[in-house]
Amino acid sequence: MFAAVSSGFLSRRGALVLLLVALLAALAAGALAQTKDSSGKRLESIRSEMDRGQGLYLAGNYAGAAEVFEAGYAAYPYSAFLFNAGVCYQKQNDFDRALAKFNEYVRVDPGAPDLDKVKLRISALEAAKAAAAATALGDAGVGADAGAPPPVVLPSGDEQNAMKSLVVIETEPEGAPFRVYQRLDPNAPRFAPGAATANPGWKEVVATRAPANLTLDVGQYHVVVEKFRDFNESEADMAVTPGHVHQLKANLSQGKFMAFLRVTSNVIGAHVWIDDKKKTRPLWSDTPHGELVPGGKHDVLVEAPGFEPFQASVELEHGEQKQLEVHMVRVSYGVLRIDASVPEVKVRIDAQVKGVWRSGSEPLDVRFDSGRHQLTIESDGRKTFEGMIVVPRGQILPLHAQMIPKYPRGPAWTQAIIGAAFLGAALYAGSESDRMYDQLQQDREGGNLEGSDSRATRGKWFAIGADAGFVVAGVLGGISTYNFIKDPLPESSVKPGKLQEFEDPLKARPVAQRAPGKLPNAVAAERAPRLEFKPSASSTGGGLILGGRF
Amino acid sequence: MRARLLELNLLGCLVLGTSACSWSRFDDVTRDAPVVLFEKPGSMADGFGVSLATATNQGQTEVLVGGTSNVSAAALYEIGDEDSPGTTASDGYCTGDDQACFLSSLTGGFANATGPDKGRPLCFAVGTGTVDDGPIKSGLVVSCQDTTEYALGMPKVAQDLLAISIAENQPHDHPMATDRADDPVLLASLPDERLAWFYPARSTQFSELLLPDGAQQDDPSFGRSLAVLAVDGGRVLALGVPGKSRVFLWKTDGGSNSSYIGCLGGIDGMGRALAAGRVDADGNDDLVVSDASTVHVVDGARLFQLPQTASSACSLSLLPPGAMLGSFGCASTGSLTGCEKSEFGAALAVGDLDGDGDGEVIVGAPKMTVRDRANAGALLVYDAEMSTDAALVDVNFISSAEGGDELGRSIVTPHLAKRDIIAAGAPGNGKAALFYCSSLLAHGAAGSRCP
Repeated sequence: MFAAVSSGFLSRRGALVLLLVALLAALAAGALAQTKDSSGKRLESIRSEMDRGQGLYLAGNYAGAAEVFEAGYAAYPYSAFLFNAGVCYQKQNDFDRALAKFNEYVRVDPGAPDLDKVKLRISALEAAKAAAAATALGDAGVGADAGAPPPVVLPSGDEQNAMKSLVVIETEPEGAPFRVYQRLDPNAPRFAPGAATANPGWKEVVATRAPANLTLDVGQYHVVVEKFRDFNESEADMAVTPGHVHQLKANLSQGKFMAFLRVTSNVIGAHVWIDDKKKTRPLWSDTPHGELVPGGKHDVLVEAPGFEPFQASVELEHGEQKQLEVHMVRVSYGVLRIDASVPEVKVRIDAQVKGVWRSGSEPLDVRFDSGRHQLTIESDGRKTFEGMIVVPRGQILPLHAQMIPKYPRGPAWTQAIIGAAFLGAALYAGSESDRMYDQLQQDREGGNLEGSDSRATRGKWFAIGADAGFVVAGVLGGISTYNFIKDPLPESSVKPGKLQEFEDPLKARPVAQRAPGKLPNAVAAERAPRLEFKPSASSTGGGLILGGRF
Repeated sequence: MRARLLELNLLGCLVLGTSACSWSRFDDVTRDAPVVLFEKPGSMADGFGVSLATATNQGQTEVLVGGTSNVSAAALYEIGDEDSPGTTASDGYCTGDDQACFLSSLTGGFANATGPDKGRPLCFAVGTGTVDDGPIKSGLVVSCQDTTEYALGMPKVAQDLLAISIAENQPHDHPMATDRADDPVLLASLPDERLAWFYPARSTQFSELLLPDGAQQDDPSFGRSLAVLAVDGGRVLALGVPGKSRVFLWKTDGGSNSSYIGCLGGIDGMGRALAAGRVDADGNDDLVVSDASTVHVVDGARLFQLPQTASSACSLSLLPPGAMLGSFGCASTGSLTGCEKSEFGAALAVGDLDGDGDGEVIVGAPKMTVRDRANAGALLVYDAEMSTDAALVDVNFISSAEGGDELGRSIVTPHLAKRDIIAAGAPGNGKAALFYCSSLLAHGAAGSRCP
């Protein structure tokens, strides 16, 4: 990047200088990348705190918002946090704490562009506090329900726009002087290059050097990076929205503003590769992450274990900021991670054998299509578990099978077999009895039956034997049935564990965010530009200024 | 799954319970069985059922069951009625306990017997021997229901031989036969002497039967089968010589005179058994005669019409036209097997089993195999009415038959109420039985014993 930047000024600087710069750039590359990375993360954290406080404030949770801003200031001592906390206390009529925050704001940021306005706010608050105290004294003699303290007169527009934003202005290289002009008159024409006096309706509110962290009111601003060293002047417009962090970086050496790409996902920690579909280089970052990138077309690859890979191309203009919101979809299969309380179990899903788990080995991972499936777990001497299981999409469902021993059925089988033998004997005896009776009846019909026919006696004994056999068989059958049914032991069961994400070989497992109420399909949503890309020009040169809010 | 197992078990118990066998049905099926065995007296150790005779007088019917001739005695049974048959012997005849008595192989029953001093109901000519009472102390012994007995004189040769027999205890058989008239004629023979005679009705005097010259009677089987036919005008006397395949015929007008009227023969074994009874409905007894394989029914009235003859020829062709009512053999019906060795026709009887006025022919086949029991024996009942061919209408056997029973070795038809029943001996295993039922009877017409 530096080589490309330097090429634009080759005619002005000697080759020696070029080599020196290149060398320094090479030496500084590692540290720069690390610094850039930590700076990006810091900004991401500040942004997160600011957004959270702003959200609570808009929701009317002033106490919560104040708490967040206080914590934000403690972690990142930017005066915008102080002011916003003061506003939150003021909304709660907590004059003392509001005054404390505003006074501290004046103290820590004496050059704040809105210092006068803040002092006016302090004065108004003190008056309101005094009036409230007087009202309280007067009310003491009248009664407790005399009324609430009089409302505090606040500056106009002090509702949603009361929150101040943090504006980070950087230049490449650092140290460039800049000025910030605020548009006071909404009808004022666009800022024209030149002094403030030449732009009615505009007022200079900041004049300092980059990098700088500014606390600004909501409004339209114009940033002018003045001529610095060999670089030309650059300028750009900037719109500040309440309770946000805005970053503005001017690459003076390149003569162009960089683009800003932020990739978010419903999966926190999803891996992002930029212009590296084959993943031959280290990953760009994990979601969410935003970073300045060169303008132009970029291929974005987002992956997370358990989710379908996402690929998209993003076209970024120089100085443009885009946020790519990726809604990752889980893969259509899941994994059952099975172990058991016994030395060995056989696992079937939908009647297909999927594997055998043995004690001492890792849990058996069974990959299967997501959805409801019939799970069968078998083990010798144990009750077979059969049940429906829902295989999750793109996740691991740990299952611990508690295999219960089969209740011994030996006595029942013995009784059943003996009963069956009795039944068989009874059936035989009954059959013989019937056969003999039929013969006797036939002989009687034929007039040949003799009264002392021995078959009558034998048939009678067969009948008695059959009846006795049926009784014994019935009793034994009943007892054996009872013993077959009797089972004081519980059924084998499966205890599902907490759903787990697929292992991530690159790092700790990502955590899926709860899906928002409504998400676009495989989103590559492009919001309205939050960065403003403005060319800057002056009589001595030109450049590009990138401004953004996020 | 367990609930289903319990349901199946309960269902099984229900099925088994409902299908459980009742043993009491065997008592029901054997109660009032259609076949009743006579109880064999303990004293009759040998050959119970070799001979049978029956007599009926004033509704009382008795059956005499004889043992082995010349060896055993005979047992008398009052058969009572269908509901309470008498199967226990009421008396013993020809026991030889006090007087010498040699049981004959064929005995005869008398509805009324005329003794030397008075008439007696229900008597049986049982054999030869001596008696205590009466003018004749030895001869043919007639024992009666009133426990009296008397002797009938015999031709001198027979009488002398009896004296020797008594003295040396070497008896000779004297087969006998009577008709079923109220005053029967007794026909007797002495095969060992080729001698035959008869006692006219209400007479104790014998009359010897003479054969024409040239008649071939010299055979030990002479007189082994006998029959007396009661016909209008007298009697026809038939004597079989199965060894010579002949049946000699005489007729008598009721007195002591007799005339030889011919000889039936020409077929092997002719005369193996003889029986008399009313086969057709003309009111006269008919002659039933068997040979080695066939049973012939000859009209008794036509026989009585035969003139006296001196011819010694023997042939069925001598019969007048229409005299042969029918002939039938065991194998003539397709429903029977094993006829060849069954000794079909070993014994014959005629009885009105259905009470319709004409009789059925009962043929004994003592060697017939019944339900795989060899020689169990069977009784084949034929309806041999004049106008129709003989038809097998019943096959009777003892349901509890054993191999070797030889049912059908002797047959009589005791009269019971308005019909006759069958009594048959199975001497092979010492049995004699009454058969109460006939398929010719209408359903329910024969009481509780018959279907």
